[in-house]
Amino acid sequence: MAIPPPTAPVDLFADDILVDPYPTYAALRDTGAVVHLPDNDVYALTRYDAIRDALGDPETFSSVRAIGFNDGVNDALNGTSLASDPPNHTQLRATLSANLTPRALRGLEAQIDRKADDLVALLAAGGGFDAIDALARVFPLEIVADLIGFTSDVKANMLRWGEAAMQVIGPMNQRTMESFPIAGELYAWCSTVTAADLAPGSIGRGIFDAEARGDIPEGSAGNIIHQYLGAGVDTTVAAIGNIIALFGRHQEQFALVRDDPSLVPATFAEVLRYWTPVHAWGRRTTREVEIDGARIPSGAHVAVLFGAGNRDGRHYADADTFDIARNPVDHLAFGYGPHGCAGQGLARMEGHAVIRALATHVGSFRLGDERREPSNITRSIARLDVVDIVPA
Amino acid sequence: MRIELDRPRCEGHGLCEEAAPDLLHLDDDGEVVIDVPEVGDDALERARAAVRVCPVAALRLA
Repeated sequence: MAIPPPTAPVDLFADDILVDPYPTYAALRDTGAVVHLPDNDVYALTRYDAIRDALGDPETFSSVRAIGFNDGVNDALNGTSLASDPPNHTQLRATLSANLTPRALRGLEAQIDRKADDLVALLAAGGGFDAIDALARVFPLEIVADLIGFTSDVKANMLRWGEAAMQVIGPMNQRTMESFPIAGELYAWCSTVTAADLAPGSIGRGIFDAEARGDIPEGSAGNIIHQYLGAGVDTTVAAIGNIIALFGRHQEQFALVRDDPSLVPATFAEVLRYWTPVHAWGRRTTREVEIDGARIPSGAHVAVLFGAGNRDGRHYADADTFDIARNPVDHLAFGYGPHGCAGQGLARMEGHAVIRALATHVGSFRLGDERREPSNITRSIARLDVVDIVPA
Repeated sequence: MRIELDRPRCEGHGLCEEAAPDLLHLDDDGEVVIDVPEVGDDALERARAAVRVCPVAALRLA
């Protein structure tokens, strides 16, 4: 007979846990596949199978008014593909992802590779650089700017807008409260931007043209741009910073991919598995549901801990070891199922391009100063010095 | 077992092709083509892997 899940006195959004959630994740996984956290008023999913099953079952684990951990953000996201369930979700998702699928992006791949190669070649020749400011932040911003076709004045705001858009998904803590006005600036820009503001030939311009032709519902172009910017910047910045920090810690793994470029996709998958950029994401149960003998009530708020599932030793052998050869193609960093990250094709292109460029131009390096700051949803490095570069 | 594709859901990520290149592939438009829909015992493991890696759960074995 199902019993209530175990409870743990854990605040998922406490500063120290956000900076390093892995000891907490391990303890929660040991406690149960689902653990009730009264501090956050959520039922946390901690193990790989429980997370994947929930993400694959939107009828039971709804996204409506459930993604974020405060009412304000769930109100703001209401009606978007992110916060909808099938069947409503299906058309919204198709509209959102039409320009992001690998087939739609094929033309961009060579350009993305070249940009990464040029940037890393320049940085490597300089002997040392801040991996976050000079690479992890610059590169995805350029790619997203090109994709959407926006220009320099918007670019200047993109990092703070993108960061705030993720931050406000957290509970109503200080970080969320300070970020709402900034996330509001992004929303305001997206609701007033017009085709003429975006570069001719860009995908962003194409989305407005599609709206003008009636191919997509009126008003959806601004929404799509909002989701591209809100979801596509902060997460990718985190992933690229993590690539460099993990290569710095595991030079022998960096040597493996330098010697065998066919390991590039496996390397990126392992970076995402090992240090997962997105900390927690919400769902709401539509009925009472039982996981491993523990009962979650109907209407409960569920926190999906992607990073905890990605380190589950029940699914990955030596889960706490960074090992690019494991090629964890089924990792949970992009989520899974109908709501699986719509931009994952683009994210992969960006990640692969950066890894290839590093393998081409950097022989070895050391890490200098490294600093993380707590952030509600995106776990990223704020400063990371790369020093003593020996060019390849 | 039979490999079934939910075509509207497929976004052409291509991970299935990497898992089982002898069973399915992406055509020039990036659309999945299932070359071997009826899977025998010899290919079952690769078919399961292809289904498993689909990031949007567009494939299933029935």
